[in-house]
Amino acid sequence: MTDSALQKEQALIEGLKARNDQSYQEAVRTYTSGMLAVARFYLDHSSSEEIVQDCWVTVIDAIQKFEGRSGLKTWLHRIVANRCKNRLRSARREVSTDFSEALEPELADRFNAKGRWDLPPKLQFHDSADTLMENGALSDCLDKHLSALPETQRSALMLYEAHQHKSDDVCNILDVSASNLRVLLHRARQKIFLMVENFQETGEC
Amino acid sequence: MLMCKDLAVIASDYIDGELPVLENMSVKMHLMMCKDCRTFIGNLRASTDMLNAHSSGQADEELIRKIDERVALALKEGSQDPTNQDPD
Repeated sequence: MTDSALQKEQALIEGLKARNDQSYQEAVRTYTSGMLAVARFYLDHSSSEEIVQDCWVTVIDAIQKFEGRSGLKTWLHRIVANRCKNRLRSARREVSTDFSEALEPELADRFNAKGRWDLPPKLQFHDSADTLMENGALSDCLDKHLSALPETQRSALMLYEAHQHKSDDVCNILDVSASNLRVLLHRARQKIFLMVENFQETGEC
Repeated sequence: MLMCKDLAVIASDYIDGELPVLENMSVKMHLMMCKDCRTFIGNLRASTDMLNAHSSGQADEELIRKIDERVALALKEGSQDPTNQDPD
């Protein structure tokens, strides 16, 4: 960070400590998108927004103890990550994934008794991921289905991608074994696959 | 011999390169002969890519407005947030 950027951040921190309205408005506009991106590693869209809102209220008191050992942005991101992890820990007890079953029932039903496809995938998802996501309806549908996933399946999926497939990190955060992580990931991916397939065939979510 | 359903069970492990060498080879052999499974693996992979393209966070004006309101209220009330946590 340049000297002037550092001074600007220091002035902003002083303003936050002094509970200055305008400083909060400035900080909210500068840092909220980044905080939201961090939350999205862990949670679905609406839970992420909720967490980020709560974090800003927390900041009003917590900033008094901010000593500047890290930058303001890093400090804010850490608050978000900790809150998300707490949320996941409490949610984990509620979620039950049958770890002995690697296939989604809806997919398992598409094979015959010999283990061959009865109902194979009909369409190929030809377009690139970016092109597909430009389709607003598909993007909304994906949001809806992500929200409906059990929280540990969703976080396994998002964290695994966000942490560049470092399984150890994800197992630590979610407190699951490596083999159970594989099941969570696979179950979540199948659900997303089934959703996209249905959307492509019917145009409906 | 590896059947389509067996392949569906280990599809994510294959995509992530987590399969032992021999199993990985039998998946590759199966995929060479089976168009349906090639489509399945391709689509499963595309679904994951789609998720990555989708998950970047961008705060919209509505969220910023909600935060402004809550922060203003908390500042006025001299907030003592009961859930306050020291992030360090």
